[in-house]
Amino acid sequence: MSSRSTRRILDRAFTGLGGFSTLLLAAALLVILVPILIKGFGAFVFRETVEHRRMLLDLYETGDRAAVETEVAAAAKAREPVYAMLGAFKKEVEALPAPERRKLKSDCKDLEKALNSLLGPAPGTTQPILLRQRYGQNRWDRAQVAIGKVLYEEAYDYSDSSQMGKKILVPRVERFRGTSLEPLFDYVRDQSKAMLLPRWIFYGGFLTHTSRDAHFFGGIRAEVLGTFYLTLGAMLFAVPMGVIAAIYLVEYARDNWLNSLIRSCVSTLAGVPSIVFGLFGLAFFINTIHVSGSKSVLAGSLTLGLLILPTLIRASEEALRAVPHTYKQAALSLGASPWKSITTVILPAALPGILTGIVISMGRAAGETAPIIFTAAVSVGQPLTLLKTLTQPTPALSWNIYNLCTEHEAVDEIRHVQYGMVFTLVLLVLLLNLSAIVIRARLSRKLRV
Amino acid sequence: METIAEARSTRVVDINNLNIHYGQKQAVFNVSLGIVRQQVTAFIGPSGCGKSTILRALNRMNDLIDHVRTEGSIRLDGEEINNPMVDVIELRRRVGMVFQKSNPFPKSVYENVVYGLRIAGLRSRAALDEIAEKSLRSAALWDEVKDRLHDSALGLSGGQMQRLCIARAIAVNPEIILMDEPCSALDPKSTVRIEDLIGELRRDYTIIIVTHNMQQAARVSDCTAFFYEGCLIEFGATKQIFTKPEQKHTEDYITGRFG
Amino acid sequence: MNADVPGNRPQHGLQLSKRARRLRRLGSLAGQGFLLLITSLSSLAVLFIFIFIAKDAIPFFTLRGFAEFFTSTRWYPSSQPPEFGVLSIFFGSGIVTLGAIIVSVPLGISAAVCLSDVLPFHLRQMVKPVIEMLAAIPSVAYGFFALVVLAPMMQEKGGSVLAVLAWCIGAPAAVLVVLVLSEVLSGGMPVRFRGAGRYGVGAALLGLAGWGLWRASAFLNAIVIPSGTNALNASVILGIMALPTVVSVSEDALQAAGRDLRMASYALGATRAETILRVVIPAAISGITSAVILGIMRAIGETMVVWMASGNAAQIPTPWFDFLQPVRTLTATIAGDMGEADHVTGSARYHVLFAMALCLLAFSFACNLASEMVVRRTKRRAG
Repeated sequence: MSSRSTRRILDRAFTGLGGFSTLLLAAALLVILVPILIKGFGAFVFRETVEHRRMLLDLYETGDRAAVETEVAAAAKAREPVYAMLGAFKKEVEALPAPERRKLKSDCKDLEKALNSLLGPAPGTTQPILLRQRYGQNRWDRAQVAIGKVLYEEAYDYSDSSQMGKKILVPRVERFRGTSLEPLFDYVRDQSKAMLLPRWIFYGGFLTHTSRDAHFFGGIRAEVLGTFYLTLGAMLFAVPMGVIAAIYLVEYARDNWLNSLIRSCVSTLAGVPSIVFGLFGLAFFINTIHVSGSKSVLAGSLTLGLLILPTLIRASEEALRAVPHTYKQAALSLGASPWKSITTVILPAALPGILTGIVISMGRAAGETAPIIFTAAVSVGQPLTLLKTLTQPTPALSWNIYNLCTEHEAVDEIRHVQYGMVFTLVLLVLLLNLSAIVIRARLSRKLRV
Repeated sequence: METIAEARSTRVVDINNLNIHYGQKQAVFNVSLGIVRQQVTAFIGPSGCGKSTILRALNRMNDLIDHVRTEGSIRLDGEEINNPMVDVIELRRRVGMVFQKSNPFPKSVYENVVYGLRIAGLRSRAALDEIAEKSLRSAALWDEVKDRLHDSALGLSGGQMQRLCIARAIAVNPEIILMDEPCSALDPKSTVRIEDLIGELRRDYTIIIVTHNMQQAARVSDCTAFFYEGCLIEFGATKQIFTKPEQKHTEDYITGRFG
Repeated sequence: MNADVPGNRPQHGLQLSKRARRLRRLGSLAGQGFLLLITSLSSLAVLFIFIFIAKDAIPFFTLRGFAEFFTSTRWYPSSQPPEFGVLSIFFGSGIVTLGAIIVSVPLGISAAVCLSDVLPFHLRQMVKPVIEMLAAIPSVAYGFFALVVLAPMMQEKGGSVLAVLAWCIGAPAAVLVVLVLSEVLSGGMPVRFRGAGRYGVGAALLGLAGWGLWRASAFLNAIVIPSGTNALNASVILGIMALPTVVSVSEDALQAAGRDLRMASYALGATRAETILRVVIPAAISGITSAVILGIMRAIGETMVVWMASGNAAQIPTPWFDFLQPVRTLTATIAGDMGEADHVTGSARYHVLFAMALCLLAFSFACNLASEMVVRRTKRRAG
C-alpha cells in the first residue's frame, strides 16, 4: 500500500506528464509553422532593388516607366566609379609582366563574375542569353549575399590534416593590394545602397505573375492555377458521388452483407496510401481507359477525387446521421415521399456538416502531392486555360515545392520562392480549415437556439 | 351520451381485429374499434400498452420501422388502408400527425407551415400566404408569430413550437389529426393552451390523442379507449369511462392503483 | 356523409391504380438502384485499385520470381544486369515507421488523456484547433520543413541539436521521475525521518538525474551527423504527422469510456491517475489500439516526407538501429523511380514498383482488418 501523499504526488506527476505532452504538441506546430510563415511572408514583402523594378517593367510591364528610368539612371551613376576602376585596372594590368598579369587577369574575371551577379551585366557588354544573367540581384537580402561574394572569396583551410578542409572566407581585396582596384571594395561596401536603391514593397504579383526563367523571376501563377484546377476537378468528381453514397448508406441501406461489404470497401479505400492512388491513376486512368494521352489535369483530378472520396462519404454520413429522425417523420406525416423528405428536409439540415467535410477535403486535395506525380504534375509549364486541362499536365503548388527544393539548379538562390509557395499552400489549407471551424461553430450555435 | 348505433353511423375509422408484431413479439392483440367523426378520441393506458403503435398504424408510420407486421383491417371512410395498393403519401396527407416532441424543421416559421403544401406542388404565393395565415390562426399562434414569420422556427418557445407543428399538420387540410402525447414535453401553461386548441379544432377535424395524463383525457376527449398490454380493455364515452367503468381493470388504472 | 366535411376536402381515393402503383414502385426502385450504383462505384474503386496494381505487379514476379525481391538487399535497378532486392527498402520503411511510432504513440496517448480528462473545457477548445491544424498541413510542407530547416540544422550543428532535444524532453521527465521515486523510496522510512528523508533522497536523485542528463548530452553533443536527411529526421517529422490521428482517435476512445465509469472509480477514493490508468485506459484499450494502427498506416503510407527527409539510400544501416543513417522507403522508391522506369516497354524496372505498391496495399489492408477486428472483439465482449 502506498501512502496518501505518494498517491497524490503520483497523481500530480501524471497530470504533469499529460500537460507536458500537450505543450510539446503545440510547440511542434509552432516550430514548423513559424519559419514557414515568417520566411514565406518574405516572398511577398521584401526590400526590392532597382534591378527588380527594372525586371518588372521589362518582363511584366508593371511600374511607372518614367520613375523607374530615373532610378535606373541614378543607380547607373552610382555604379560608374566601379566600372571606371575596372577599366583603369585592366589598362594597368597590360603593363605588367606575363605571369603576374595572367594571375591578376583571372582574379579579375572572378571579381567581374561576382559583380555581374550583384549588379547585372556591365554597361556596354552584349546582352547575355540567359534571362537570369540580364539583371542584378532583385532582392536586398540576396544582394547582401552577393556583396559578400564580391568582398570575400571562399577558400579551404587544410592546416589540420586530420580533418576535412575547413571553409574560410578570405577578403578578395588581398589579391588586388596596391592596384587601382583596391578602393573598389570599400566603395562597393559603402555605396551598395546607392547602387541598388533598396526599398520595402509588397509584391502581390507573386501570386499573379507567371514565373520566368525557372522561377528566377516573377511569381507562381501557373502553380496556383494548377492547384486550383486540380482541386476543383477533384471536388466536381467526388462531391456528388460522396454525398449520394452517404445518402444511400444512411437513408436506404439495410443491414445486409452487400452494404456491410460496401462499408468495408470505403474504409479500406480510406487506408490506401496516397502514392498507390498515384500508381493506380497512371495504370487505370491514363494507361487503360486513356482519359488523356499522358499526364493531364483531368487524370490528376480523377485520382485526387478518388483519394478524398472516403473522407467525403464519412463526413456526409456523419452529418446526415446527426439530423434528428423526427424531421423525417414529420415530413412523411405531411405527405412527403421518402425522396422528397430527403431533398427538402434532411439534406438542408445536414448541409453545414456536409459543407465542413467538403471544405476539409478541399484542403486535403489541394495539399496532396503523391497522387499527382504520375498523373498530372510537371515541373515547368505555363498557366493553362480551362479547355486545356482535359489534355495538358500542369505545375501545381505541392509538386513544385518538392521540385524546387530538390531538383532546381540553383536551390539556394530561389529559397524565397520555395518559402513563398509553401506559405501560399499552407495558408490556403489553413484558411479552408478555419472556415470549416467557423461553419461548425455557427452550426452548433444555430442548433442550440 | 350517444348511442352505439349513432356512433357507428358516423364512424370515420374502423379498426377490425388489428394485430401488430414487432419481429417475434406481438404488441397489439385483436383490437377492434371505431373512431367517430369530429370527435376527440383519447387512447389511454400504461406505457408499452400498444396505444402509440395503434396510432401509428392509422397513417402507416409503422412502415418506417423494420420488422413490423400489421394484420387485420383498418378502414378510412370505408377504404382499407392496410393493404399494399394504398397510396401511402395520400393517406398521410389525409391523416396528419403531431408528435410527442415538437419537431419543427430548421426553417422559418412560414416555410414550416407551408411545407406540406409546397411538396404537394402548390406554387401560388397568394394561396400559400392565405393558408399559412389560416392555419396559424387555427393553431392560435398567428398573433404571436405574425411579425417573425421568416425567423427560424427553432427560436420559438416549446409550446409555440408544438402549436406550430399543429399548424403545419392542419395546413394540408387533413381529415384526422393523430396526436402522440403532444403535451408530455410541455409546461402546464403551454399544456392548457394546447388543450384549448384541441377543443377548438374538433369542430373541423377528427382528433385521436394518445395521452398518459388521465385528467387531460377527461378534459379534452369525447370518447376514451383504455388499453392494457396490447389489448383494448374498454372503449366508450369519456364521461362513462371515468365515472362508472364497466371493467375492474379500467377502474384500477383510472383511480391510480397501477400504471 | 361526405357532405358535411368542412373546407371541401378533395377526396381522392386512397387506392392507387395498378398502373400508378407499378410506376411509383418502378420509380422508387430505379432511384434506389441509381443510388446503389453510385455507392458501389465508390467501393468498386477499391477493387479496381487492387486489380490494376496486381495486374502490373504480376509480370515482375513471373519475370524474376519472389526470392530476390524479398530476401536480397541489393537494389541496383539500373545496372547491367539489374538487381531488384527490396529487403533493405522494406527495412527502411519499417525503421522509419518504428521511429514515428516511438515519437507519436507515447506523446499522442498522454496528450489524449490530458485532453479528455485533465484540461478544463475552454483549454480543450484551444488545443483542438492545434491538432486540426497539425492534421491539415500538407505533407509536402512537412517535407519541406524537414529538408530545408531541420536537415541543415542537424548537419551543421550535429549532435548539439540532439543534446538540446534531450534536455528539452529529458529535464521535465527527469523531474517527474525524481518526484515519484523520492516519494516511493522515502515511503519505506520510519515516519519520524520521512520529511527530511524525502528531501534528502529527492536532492540525491535530482543530482543523479542531472549528472546523467549532462553525460548524455555530452555524448550526444560529440556525435557528428554526416547527413541531415536520415532516418531520425524522417521519423520525427512522420511522428508529428501521425500525432493528430493518434490523439484524436484515442481521445474519442477515452471519451467513449463514459462518465459513469470514472465516477464509480472516484467514488471509491481513487485519484485521477489511478482512475485513468486502471479503469479508463483498460476500458478504452481497443480504441487506443486502433489509434496506434491508424498511426502506423499513416506513417508507412506517407510519401513526400520520407522522400525528402530520409536520404534515399537503399541500405540497412549497421548497427540496424542507427537512426542517423540515411535509409530508403517503399513509397519514396515508387515516387522517385517511376520517372526513370520505362513504362512504355514494360520492363521489370516498371513492374517492380507496382510489386512494392502491392505490398503496401496488402499491408494497409491487413492493418484495416486488424483494427476492425480489435473493435469488433471488444464490442462482442461488451455486448
